[in-house]
Amino acid sequence: MSIVLVLLALAIGCYLVAVFEGWAVHGRFSLMRPAISALALLGREQILPRTPDRLFFETGPILLLVAGLLSVAVIPLAPGLIITDLAIGALFLNAALAYVLVALIMAGWGPNGAYAMVGGWRFLGQFIAYAMLIVMPITAVAMRAESLSTTQIVLSQAALWNVVYQPIGFVLFVIAALGVAWLPPIDLPTGGGDLAGGVEAEYTGARLAVWRLARLVIVVALSGATVTFYFGGWLGPWLPGWAWTALKTVAVAAAMLTLGRHLPRLREERYLAVSWKLGISLALANIFLVGVIALLVPI
Amino acid sequence: MIPELMIALSVGAALFGVGLYGALSQTNLVMILMGVELVLASALVNTVAFWRYLHPDVTAAKMYVLIVMAVMALEMAVGFGIAVARFRARGSVEMEEARELKG
Amino acid sequence: MSLGPVLFLAFFGIAAIWFGVVVFRTQSMVRSAIALLFSQTSVGAMFLVMQAEFLGVLQIMMMATEMSVMAIFMVMFMMDPGGMGKMDMTHQKRLSLRAGGIGLVAALVVIWTAGWQGPVPEVPGADEQARMLGREILGRSMFIFESAALMILTAMIAATMVAVAPQERDRP
Repeated sequence: MSIVLVLLALAIGCYLVAVFEGWAVHGRFSLMRPAISALALLGREQILPRTPDRLFFETGPILLLVAGLLSVAVIPLAPGLIITDLAIGALFLNAALAYVLVALIMAGWGPNGAYAMVGGWRFLGQFIAYAMLIVMPITAVAMRAESLSTTQIVLSQAALWNVVYQPIGFVLFVIAALGVAWLPPIDLPTGGGDLAGGVEAEYTGARLAVWRLARLVIVVALSGATVTFYFGGWLGPWLPGWAWTALKTVAVAAAMLTLGRHLPRLREERYLAVSWKLGISLALANIFLVGVIALLVPI
Repeated sequence: MIPELMIALSVGAALFGVGLYGALSQTNLVMILMGVELVLASALVNTVAFWRYLHPDVTAAKMYVLIVMAVMALEMAVGFGIAVARFRARGSVEMEEARELKG
Repeated sequence: MSLGPVLFLAFFGIAAIWFGVVVFRTQSMVRSAIALLFSQTSVGAMFLVMQAEFLGVLQIMMMATEMSVMAIFMVMFMMDPGGMGKMDMTHQKRLSLRAGGIGLVAALVVIWTAGWQGPVPEVPGADEQARMLGREILGRSMFIFESAALMILTAMIAATMVAVAPQERDRP
């Protein structure tokens, strides 16, 4: 039962995120646009590139979708409304998101095209930049909750949301999340201006539709994770729990989609340098601070 | 006779055999590292199987698994460091072209 | 004896061995790295079947990163990364086959003649296991854990030192 409900919520969330992305990119708000463009994609001819690595070419989008769905599985919508409440949910989320990298490398290598391959390997560089920044803030969150279970993590924020308790970790996590979902300004693997679509360049028709859907699922999963880890999940007054989770997730997704568009695109070596020299030191400082606060002040 | 343990240990043995074959037969340093990874994976399977089916109360076994995982990562890091240095100096990481390393 | 774990263990075990064989049989280097990744992922799935949740998920997560990095090194250092040229990248094939076979047979003989006894004990739940592992790491095995950390730091520095390009002033 809860699986069906979560998947339904995920579908609605993906549609809303698609609407917001269209609004941010084209400047016009249209509720119908994602449906129309999905139908158009499904109806189009499916072009196979010359001498592709067929296995990787077909598996890439599907693996991306599977990774997104698996990472949704541990995000709680309300008490009890979660697909699997693993005891190590936060680690499981990381493991699922690591396969985004594998899917992008497969999709980049598969079509035997220069732009796609540059995009895929660029994402590897981007991954090395964000990998530590997504794990270490989660460590601090788990330290406060004294558990890796996502439900416990939400419950631990009853008195004070983590966004106030550990703001450094929140900022780092959001930057890393932008990298995972390759949202602007860190959209190196598909970078519109210089790579002509990058990893997506050789995909057409239904495969591109699956790819876009998978990317939306990942954006929703990351917003859900941000809400779970930093905005107190379903906690909130007046409204029922699932409504709070839905509202917060959509708000975070909209913020993630729109804010970055006003910044210039980050080059990958700059992103690497910043996240290793500055980001990791800040993340370590965050872990230390959270440990000291958790020992001294019981909130 | 514990069938789960037998299956897990046999998988470990097969992975060890495949990894040993790969590490000995490949001519490229990176492929040799892949063989070593398989051998280490077989060690992991065996350790977890022994922990689960013989001594589930000994948590030190899981500690050992963590250390082996760290060793896997380190082996790759150091191996790739050597590969990069070798490639810079000689333009190849083929084992057949590394005869001057022979004593 | 319960049938479910046996079937799942056998399935993931065969998957791990099959992908492990694919690693050395395919011509394309990226395929080889990804096959190794899926072999290790199957090993992680076996851990999950054996109720070691933390270790299984950790294995699945770590290997995704490691093998992707391996893939790019393969592409960098191999002469024929796409596998279009059908190059033979092996040597001393008979010796290696023999060594691998002897290792396999010896291990199998030991495994199947050892006569493991006893009922399979129950394991605690995943959250209890995670707590026990934490107590072990920060309690009895703390020294080992810390030395592992030092070992990682040393290896990182050493690998970077070996890999960086020599500067002009370093040359004799």
